Amino acid sequence: MRSKLLTTLLGGLFALPFGLLALLAVAPGWRFPAVLPAEYSLGALRSLLAADNELLAGLGRSLLLASVVAAVATAGGFGLAWAIARTARPGRWEALSYLPYALPPVLLAVLIQPFIIRLHLSGSVGGVLVGLLLIALPFATLLLRSFWSQQATEYEQLARTLGCTPRQAFQQVLLPLAWPLLRTALFQTFLLSWFDFGFTNLLSVGKVRTLTVQVFTYVGEANAQLAAVASLLLLLPPALLLWVNKKALLRRPDLG
Amino acid sequence: MSQLLTVAHLTKSFGPQPVLRDISFSLAAGQVLGVLGRSGCGKTTLLKILAGLETPDAGNVLLHEQDLLPVPPNERQMVYLYQEPLLFPHLNVFENVAFGLRIRKVPKAEADRQVTELLDELDLREHAQKAPHQLSGGQRQRVSFGRALIIRPRLLLLDEPFGNLDAQTRADMQQLFLHVSQQHHITSIFVTHDSREALTVGTQFAYLDRGELTSFATVHEFIADPRTNIQAELAFWENVQQNALLKKER
Repeated sequence: MRSKLLTTLLGGLFALPFGLLALLAVAPGWRFPAVLPAEYSLGALRSLLAADNELLAGLGRSLLLASVVAAVATAGGFGLAWAIARTARPGRWEALSYLPYALPPVLLAVLIQPFIIRLHLSGSVGGVLVGLLLIALPFATLLLRSFWSQQATEYEQLARTLGCTPRQAFQQVLLPLAWPLLRTALFQTFLLSWFDFGFTNLLSVGKVRTLTVQVFTYVGEANAQLAAVASLLLLLPPALLLWVNKKALLRRPDLG
Repeated sequence: MSQLLTVAHLTKSFGPQPVLRDISFSLAAGQVLGVLGRSGCGKTTLLKILAGLETPDAGNVLLHEQDLLPVPPNERQMVYLYQEPLLFPHLNVFENVAFGLRIRKVPKAEADRQVTELLDELDLREHAQKAPHQLSGGQRQRVSFGRALIIRPRLLLLDEPFGNLDAQTRADMQQLFLHVSQQHHITSIFVTHDSREALTVGTQFAYLDRGELTSFATVHEFIADPRTNIQAELAFWENVQQNALLKKER
């Protein structure tokens, strides 16, 4: 009974900001000190259905960027982690992978900005993509480094003696073994890109208006209703991902 | 008796460190070569060269007079079994055992029939749908063994396969290995650091120390060699028995 009460209380606390966001999204003129909105309107939400809606375009841009970053960083990180495991001194390469985190992301963006300009990628989705990969790729590499242990080599060698070609050993044994970690890397790098504001805004000089960038813009303009609608859209994919991955996230470790 | 495997003048170094020195031996079909060796004696490197997972610096490996060194591991039909059973966690017991047949694209009905028969023989039928983490240590080793046997290996390479098991399970597994080896006429090289295990499973014997292999013509020579420590162990137990008798007489 006590634990049920505590769960309900925690669930309520967790849901409170979402409820508030939903309320803000349907309340065009909700001003302090009114406890509840004086009027309600679905106008802002309905406008999402318009073909030229900027929020929906931002959602599309964010989805594209985060999905590409997650896929490329995870695949690249898996390969890089494999290569690092086979070097004579893997520790040095691992230390190098931490370098992008030695600086705040915005400062890193300032430092790489000249290179992005020289590559004629400034203000483009491609430029933002390159920048975000500079952060996400080392992250995925470090996360996936633990997979390439001695045991992974033993599994691979066992598969070879059981009749697998190198490709079959990779596809039928190593990939399924690595899948839980790969799924985590995909999820984390997606979120890293999805919620990024400073890096994207600076590298794109405000031209690539992802959903996160738009939320900050609306907050800056004190447009609470549009900021709330954008925030709700922003929360939708991570919530979906969490729902899809809940089994993996809540699973108990193998007893074997 | 015709020789199945002939190893001649095998040498391997890792950097300046020699690991195998001029190793030569031969093995007839259906025999079990029990190799006694302590940690770091070069046993894993020897088995990996035979499996095609390492390349030697010099020497020959012939199987039925065919040069084996250019043959990739997947075409050698030699299974290397580690100390850990290394069951695939994403597959259940049935699919773990069926793995080698699925890779060889054996028709499903035929593969399923073979797996079911082998699971019966290994007393694993009731565990067929279980995940590897639901099995005990001994059961896991039996699945690992079944996964190797199903492809009818020309040579089984065992690297201290029962080293992580408790004494009773280990003894059971040794008996199961003997039974299955005879039943399926399996040729194998069984490396262990336990002289009793070598004597239990082996039909031929060798001693590997610092990369040098000594083959013994008879089990008596193997027992008599002081490096195997078997004489010392026998003396120890005799001593224990005598002391016990003396205490009883007093």
